[in-house]
Amino acid sequence: FLLVFYPPSQTSLQVTGSRWRSSAALMSPHHTSASLESKNWEKRNRKVFPPQLPDEIRRPAEIHHSRRQIKYSKDKMWYLAKMIRGMSIDQAIAQLEFNDKKGAKIMKEVLLEAQEMAVKHHNVEYKSNLYVAESFSGKGMYLKRIRYHGRGMFGIMDKVYCNYFVKLVEGSPPKAEEKTSFDQAKEYVQSLKNRTIIHSL
Amino acid sequence: MALPMRRTLVSLHRATCGSLKSAEVSLDVRHPVPLLLPVRTKKRYFIPPAVGRKGREEQSEESKARAAGFVVRQQYYERPINIACTAGIFDPYIPPEGDARLSTLSKEGLKQRTEQVRQTAASQLAIRKIKEHDSQFATKDFAAQAQEIFIEAHDALTQFNKEKLHSLVTERCYPEMTRGNRYKTIHWRFLESLEPPKVVHARCPDMISKGNLYGQVTVRMHSKQTLAIYDRFGRLLLGSEEQPKDVLEYLVMERHLVNPYGRWRLHGKIVPSWAPAKDPIIKTLLIPGPELKPGEEFDALSYEVAKPKAVQWSK
Repeated sequence: FLLVFYPPSQTSLQVTGSRWRSSAALMSPHHTSASLESKNWEKRNRKVFPPQLPDEIRRPAEIHHSRRQIKYSKDKMWYLAKMIRGMSIDQAIAQLEFNDKKGAKIMKEVLLEAQEMAVKHHNVEYKSNLYVAESFSGKGMYLKRIRYHGRGMFGIMDKVYCNYFVKLVEGSPPKAEEKTSFDQAKEYVQSLKNRTIIHSL
Repeated sequence: MALPMRRTLVSLHRATCGSLKSAEVSLDVRHPVPLLLPVRTKKRYFIPPAVGRKGREEQSEESKARAAGFVVRQQYYERPINIACTAGIFDPYIPPEGDARLSTLSKEGLKQRTEQVRQTAASQLAIRKIKEHDSQFATKDFAAQAQEIFIEAHDALTQFNKEKLHSLVTERCYPEMTRGNRYKTIHWRFLESLEPPKVVHARCPDMISKGNLYGQVTVRMHSKQTLAIYDRFGRLLLGSEEQPKDVLEYLVMERHLVNPYGRWRLHGKIVPSWAPAKDPIIKTLLIPGPELKPGEEFDALSYEVAKPKAVQWSK
């Protein structure tokens, strides 16, 4: 970690046309943060927690990573993001490696980057001791083009981009609680028994 | 996503059909119909910006100016740099082996003490040069001053007070002290000094041009300190809060003598080659093994990890 302050990096986007970015302050007073340039997910990596006392439970390390402006649809990316939610990192990487979708390759790169970052910078001891706590995709900045129809008609075509966000947490993945049908039936009967008439004589 | 929008073809249709209503015109096909081109008067609220771009090529401002005949003189991007400290430790002090290990009552201890007391001629010359520029310099007081600066600098490091740290520590030492510490919490305490600090070495190198003098003085101090470093999540990385450690350090203080506003600042530390190994960190690290050819097997038990050579280095 070199102690260098990086100025807010200028995103190298092919934004065409007139885009007034810094006008977030000129707009309504309700939106105080610049919504077009905010990189809040990466800022979560800068949070420093106070030192723990020796008798407290060891706080698990959390690593936030993302990739912006991926040339893929956010809806298609969502399916992959939903698939790896809750998996351990090794399982997630294995599943993405053998998935045929285009987004899977990019997601795998992101996960490997995040794993390396965790070991190098965030004091994670074992690189396999991580699991995917949060993973989701969001819409990136679209480019607009013309799609020519017949009879002189045209439509505006969006060239879609998406952002992918992932949060890795140290430890083994949490086990999903399995409820048997018998337990569910018992709960239902109990809820029926709990019914009572209030404000009665 | 593609929303078809209507063009005003209706007017064109009406124009062509209207003129063909009369019977004589409908029979004569060769009679030319005046072509009415519909002109769009309704304003188009959105045009994708890429419409007019296809034919246009990028023409830089520079080429436009050149075409107009406007010549700009070659611009020199120069910036003056002020060097306030040297890049390293010139002619470093080599601490004698077994320093602070032998008691002063034994024969070896006495020999060491006598050697230490008699400083080399070069150091005496350097001290004389320093006294020329800085009249208030005294070898006896300077050692205590150096220790104070050391304690203040480390306190500023724990609070991460950048401005104060820059004034107490040279630019060369600052990144070495703070590298990797931005997202860590450091708890450091100076308990007591076991031996009074002493000036052991001095040099006066000059940088770039002759006469640009910097003074470097090495101070030896033996003290008790506690250190505990916590990582970003508050987990203990190194050291402990209660357990104090005896530390023998050789600090190098530097000052830009020619500059009237120069101050004595911590420039670095000398770690001797015989220094004891530090405590291991509370973590398991992965050491990459040797590159194997396909078919080769790796014998983990007989593989020896290469240990670095014991060399004196300055931090």
